[in-house]
Amino acid sequence: MIYLFQVLNGIGLGMLYFLLAVGLSIIFGLLQFVNFAHGAFYLLGAYLTYDLVERDISFWVAMPAAAVIVALVAGLTEASLLRRIYKLPHTFHILVTVGLALVIQEFVIVVWGPLGGSVATPKSLAGVLIIGDFIYPYYRIFAICFTAVLAFVLYWALERTRLGAIVRAGSESTETMALLGYDTLRINTAVFAFGAGLAGLAGALAAPIRGVEPFMGVEALSVAFVVVVIGGMGSYVGALAAGLLVGVIQSLMATIWPEGARLMIYVAMAFVIVTMPRGLFGRV
Amino acid sequence: MLINKPFFQFGLVVLTVLALPFFLRSGIMASEILIYGMVVAASNLLLGYTGLLSFGQGIFFGTGSYLAGIVLTRTGVPVGLMLPMAAVLGTVIATLVGGLSIRRQGVYFVMLTLAFSQLFYFLAYTFSDLTGGDNGLLDVPRPMLNGEQLVDPWSYYAYVGVCFVLVFAAMLLVTQSTFGRTLIAVRENEERAAAIGFPVRVFKIAAFAISGAVTAFAGALHAMLIGVAPLSSIEYHTSEIILVMTIIGGSSSLYASVLGASFYLLMADTLSSIWPRWLLLLGLVLVVVALFLQKGLWGLVEKIYALLTHNRIPPEVEPSDLGTDTTAKGE
Repeated sequence: MIYLFQVLNGIGLGMLYFLLAVGLSIIFGLLQFVNFAHGAFYLLGAYLTYDLVERDISFWVAMPAAAVIVALVAGLTEASLLRRIYKLPHTFHILVTVGLALVIQEFVIVVWGPLGGSVATPKSLAGVLIIGDFIYPYYRIFAICFTAVLAFVLYWALERTRLGAIVRAGSESTETMALLGYDTLRINTAVFAFGAGLAGLAGALAAPIRGVEPFMGVEALSVAFVVVVIGGMGSYVGALAAGLLVGVIQSLMATIWPEGARLMIYVAMAFVIVTMPRGLFGRV
Repeated sequence: MLINKPFFQFGLVVLTVLALPFFLRSGIMASEILIYGMVVAASNLLLGYTGLLSFGQGIFFGTGSYLAGIVLTRTGVPVGLMLPMAAVLGTVIATLVGGLSIRRQGVYFVMLTLAFSQLFYFLAYTFSDLTGGDNGLLDVPRPMLNGEQLVDPWSYYAYVGVCFVLVFAAMLLVTQSTFGRTLIAVRENEERAAAIGFPVRVFKIAAFAISGAVTAFAGALHAMLIGVAPLSSIEYHTSEIILVMTIIGGSSSLYASVLGASFYLLMADTLSSIWPRWLLLLGLVLVVVALFLQKGLWGLVEKIYALLTHNRIPPEVEPSDLGTDTTAKGE
């Protein structure tokens, strides 16, 4: 029973990891840009939710608001700063986004303090579901269902809509898109804001489960990297499978060997790299 | 350019060791600059010479630090033997991490090194019997010299200074050797280097091994300096600051790294005493460096030198471009 419980927890966690990784992956696909500030956007999303809920604003308003604010911040950053450095080597992409991550992290500490806090689950989802021996919090069930629906909508939007086609075409060749008359600058900004917004949303959803603390961004960034390395960047199915795998491993290990739960994520990654250097769904 | 010639660089290194005591009041600070100078130069060997941006240098630094802590507090092994042990252990772990990480290229490689740094952090955190967990290993003793312990920071500085000069000389020799030249060939055009017949992967792993040896060696010196082998020396943040120092310094010569380390440490020391949240300012500095100072502080020095001698800087191929390779689109 405990294992079933942990597998469910793992799926919930894994869906959050998937949201994180897919945002990173979309941004990389279009902009050829590794966003080391991705974890910081997750952090910001979590703290904005925390702040809004503390002000007695309903979680159902706070969560989308946090994601939208993060997207706006990211969009502004892209339009004012990041677009100037795309043509530079990767080294400087990393330097600038590492700098951006530091700025956001320290900003969070300045505004909300270094200690962190907890976010109450929304009242409508406060209870637990009891079926026989099985007990599970409603909020976590909601988180799993919500991210599952979101994953499906994302997939549909990317693969079946005109907007998705533009994003995918852009990641094949930005030049061709520009020649066809698309405003690639605006598309870039929008996609960056969207990817960051997904990270912010993941942070907002995670806040009632794990609380907030200023260094959760670093952890989120490295987990997103692990998911992308295992699943293959630019692979939607890969991100989903790898996200779930990582989430379930972490949750199961939390029962079997609590101290080593997070260690095992990285061990799993090393294992995948040794056995399948291209990742589970890596194409080339 | 004269200032990039190895003998000139070696002169600068010796001069730095001799001059720091006149400029700094704290022997701890001066020793720290030399120790990080080595660490950053080792990172530069990867970034500047081989084109590998490693986000995992903290692994090797922490390894050396823990080795010093474990060996010096739990066994009777003398420092003179412990330091080579640190270098060997650093080599082994760097070979492992490097060997696995270079299975992927470009940005995937960077992500892997970062993920490995988390792996080693959690290893250290999990196996707290060995590492002391959150507390780290306390009471790491300084080395003995002529039957006396180097308690005074400046006498330990002299010890570190000798190590620094020797390590730097060795690294300059490495970069001047055929091996070092081949690393540059790998950086400039990996496919061509492979086509000529160089075993590119072996060269990359060897660069990692050397880098790991030097970094772990310096990590051990650092544990003796501060008397602790803390968990923080294997943290993400350590890898981050090593990388930041490397890029701020610049990667067109090894001494650039000493400049990067000094600049960062002095800035950290000054700013953190003014405002505890100074990392926010550091973030802004990084953006400024990326926008306006892409060759780092050493690039600035080169420019000034060229102005003074009325030389023009020869148009170089962009150094340390980790992405010139084929990974730009969907590796």
